[in-house]
Amino acid sequence: MSESSVTKPAPVRRKLSAGPLSTGDKWFFRTTSIAASFAFVLVALVLIFLSLKALPALQNQGIDFIFGNVWDAGDDNNLIMQIGPMLWGSLLIALIGVLIATPMAISMAYLIVFMLNSRLAKVATTLVDLLAALPSVIIGLWGFYVFTPVADQWASILNKYLGWIPIFQVENPEYGFRGSPFIAGWIVAVMIVPIITSITREIFSQLDKDLINGALALGGSRLSVFRKVILPTASGGVVGGVLLGLGRAIGETVAIFYVLQISFDINLGQVLETRGGAVASWILARFGEATANEQSGLMAAGLVLFIITLIINSIANVIVNRAQPWRKD
Amino acid sequence: MTFAARPAIQPWRRANKKRIWQIVAASVLPAILTGALVLLTGIDPALATVVVFLPSQLVLASLVGFSAYGRRGLGDAALVVLTIFLSAFVMVLLLSVLYSVLTEGAKAISWQFFSQNNVYVSGTTSLDYGGVGHAIIGSLLVVGITTIVAVPLGISMAIYLTQSQSKIKNLVRTVTQALSGLPSVVSGLFILSIITSGDFLTKSGFAASLALIPLMLPTVARVAEEALKLVPADLRYAALALGAPNYRAFFQVILPAAKSGLITALLLGLARVIGETAPLILTLNTNNGTSLNPFEGAMATLPTYIYSYLSSSFAPSQQRAWGAALVLLIVVAVLFGLARVLGRSKSLKTKPTNKKASK
Amino acid sequence: MSSLSTASTLSSEDISVWFGERQVLSDVNLTFPANKVTALIGPSGCGKSTFLRTLNRMHELIPSAGLSGSVFLDGEDIYGEDFDAVTVRIKIGMVFQKPNPFPTMSIKDNILSGLRLSGRKIGNAEELVETSLRRASIWNEVKDRLNDQAISLSGGQQQRLCIARSLAMDPEVLLMDEPCSALDPGSTRRIEETIKELSSSMTIVIVTHNMQQAQRVSDQTAFFLADDNTPGGVVEFGATEQIFNGPIDQRTNDYVNGHFG
Repeated sequence: MSESSVTKPAPVRRKLSAGPLSTGDKWFFRTTSIAASFAFVLVALVLIFLSLKALPALQNQGIDFIFGNVWDAGDDNNLIMQIGPMLWGSLLIALIGVLIATPMAISMAYLIVFMLNSRLAKVATTLVDLLAALPSVIIGLWGFYVFTPVADQWASILNKYLGWIPIFQVENPEYGFRGSPFIAGWIVAVMIVPIITSITREIFSQLDKDLINGALALGGSRLSVFRKVILPTASGGVVGGVLLGLGRAIGETVAIFYVLQISFDINLGQVLETRGGAVASWILARFGEATANEQSGLMAAGLVLFIITLIINSIANVIVNRAQPWRKD
Repeated sequence: MTFAARPAIQPWRRANKKRIWQIVAASVLPAILTGALVLLTGIDPALATVVVFLPSQLVLASLVGFSAYGRRGLGDAALVVLTIFLSAFVMVLLLSVLYSVLTEGAKAISWQFFSQNNVYVSGTTSLDYGGVGHAIIGSLLVVGITTIVAVPLGISMAIYLTQSQSKIKNLVRTVTQALSGLPSVVSGLFILSIITSGDFLTKSGFAASLALIPLMLPTVARVAEEALKLVPADLRYAALALGAPNYRAFFQVILPAAKSGLITALLLGLARVIGETAPLILTLNTNNGTSLNPFEGAMATLPTYIYSYLSSSFAPSQQRAWGAALVLLIVVAVLFGLARVLGRSKSLKTKPTNKKASK
Repeated sequence: MSSLSTASTLSSEDISVWFGERQVLSDVNLTFPANKVTALIGPSGCGKSTFLRTLNRMHELIPSAGLSGSVFLDGEDIYGEDFDAVTVRIKIGMVFQKPNPFPTMSIKDNILSGLRLSGRKIGNAEELVETSLRRASIWNEVKDRLNDQAISLSGGQQQRLCIARSLAMDPEVLLMDEPCSALDPGSTRRIEETIKELSSSMTIVIVTHNMQQAQRVSDQTAFFLADDNTPGGVVEFGATEQIFNGPIDQRTNDYVNGHFG
């Protein structure tokens, strides 16, 4: 074949589209697109409506709304509404819950995936998944009647022997510890442990078996394989699961409502002190008798809560997506 | 080649007698020690378990491991002991919840408890009268309306995520995941804000249903998406290659193949919202009598029933709360069990291929 | 360069293997002499890889696994009381079919991972890394990017990295389970050359589907076969030259001449 001295023109890319193949298809895609946009619509609606209702209160209170620590609803024309202690309480209780729940959840997941035989593992998995579906009001009921007395004892023991550590100090130990962030944190932990366990178990079981076999073939022991291969490789997803649990814990309302003694001081870190509160429980407590003006403040509190969980969830998604390359999809 | 069927043995399990005794000792001695300590000094058993039993078992097990395999044996033994301990601890807590609901709730359960309402019941009325009948009906009505809206919506979203080629798919998925983090109380506040904005919506069962939609939707969408993704792409390609338009390929081939998974999505979504309390408290007034009209007036539901009787100082009321909790638990367990059974028949969870079973 | 351990002779005596109630291998008797490369060939599913896994005690990781017989490393039974699985795996290394470098680690950390996982002391880390990568014939390609993520390498490079990782453990025997089946011909060729070089310092057993590969790299070959529903076993075992050019058994003849498999 003779070589031509004219270079061939660059190929023109043709437009390929897997679009609708008929009018029926057009409606099909249109309907599902509208449905898909509903997620946006809902998030937008929630934000809009809450903001509208919250605006008066926010304008009135200013930045103090978040950082101040007074809530005085006595005079309807002169409300002071600040959620500082409640916000801090939510974060503190959620943090305690996550700190307690995560080691337990990882242990449980490790046990199920790497230690139990397949029949026991299936039973345990079903049990954990069922417990993840437990309504929080049932946990609140159990927490109030069954767990609080027990946790009260634990708290008093902690205070007695470890009370010299600042976080375990209490002003009046003889009054008991009911209503402390410690107990509330434990209840929240019980709530979120199944969720974190479920996610971690799923991630552990989806780890590439070749990696684990490779580590074992190199002479790895149980502990060294866990620390150096399993945990690092699963870390992205596990962190995502923990953050999900954190988000759930911050928004938790009913489980701890009756357990908390809501008082309006910031409980910085004395977890056994029966002070402090949580935003979600505060909303529930106040809205019953709230005037329209106070309701505005409560809406603002809810808005803040939503924004916080949105941020945490987004971070969780980013972390999980960045860990994507190692996950067998 | 001929072979004689022989029993398989596992030489790596051939146990060293000395080692067995060591392991038994390491497990039993701490138990004896702890038990003795509790009996003699009356220490709280739970405390003794954490402070005496766990450390002593850790130490003894580590010693056994060390004597067998050196440093790594120590680490492995400690890992095993800690894992079992922490897992057992978790299970005790969680099972305690189930146990107390079952035992306390059983005291209140009777046929009349299921069927009657509480119109003539006061705080101290004995458990022979009254029940959760009205709450069960209320729950069904409220959740029913939510389901009618949320399930088609969620499945449509799942269809969109799996079938369309749009570039904003990931955005949709992200927003849906963000929505799943919506605190339930905030969803209630959202509907409450609509209620207080005008006259078109009042506190009612319907308002409660609306508040539950943002909570049910992400669950249904997520599970439905997983169900649709499980259908092999080849099925779709086969239908398209035969000349079917997308929507026919979907309804006639993909949908039937994913049917059980989609039902699972419905069931799991139901289980998620049927126990939600906070949104209901904010948008629905409770009622001692039976109401069949979700569009106006007060209505009782199972979660709000529990909530209102929870803090009563009267024993019968407390038992009603437990009874209602048991009813709620049974409902959730049944929904969950159905979802599981369906899921197993269509392998909803992708099990990893067992690469150890080699050629 | 630090001295490497000498190669050892590995042999199996009457190895039979079960998965649950089903016997999959029957009476495998093979000897793998020191410093020689032995190839295990045969059609899919006749138990070659399963047998390989009995040689470094990876077989017992499967819950339903069963085994009878012995495997001797320089005369000592690795399933005996004097050995535990981890010690065996330190002495007998394995390279898998699909490259499996640890994704969270750099190239350098992957090389050292075996020592860290088995809790052994690392002497001179840089020297060990360089030696291992050189022996796996990949040093020149990665010497400037030792801290890069291991998964940034190509498939063939990853497999050579895995070989280097096993070599860092200074094994006496190296087991290779179809190490080239997931790779392109260029990488395959390079790995085959590496195998021949390595045999001077260790014993190698390689499972392969590729008969030309078996002829290229191995000194002796074992032909496995399993009829339907009967356990697999060794049909013929001998010098590679003889197995391929003058097999004794008719079935061997059929297989190496492509009549089935």
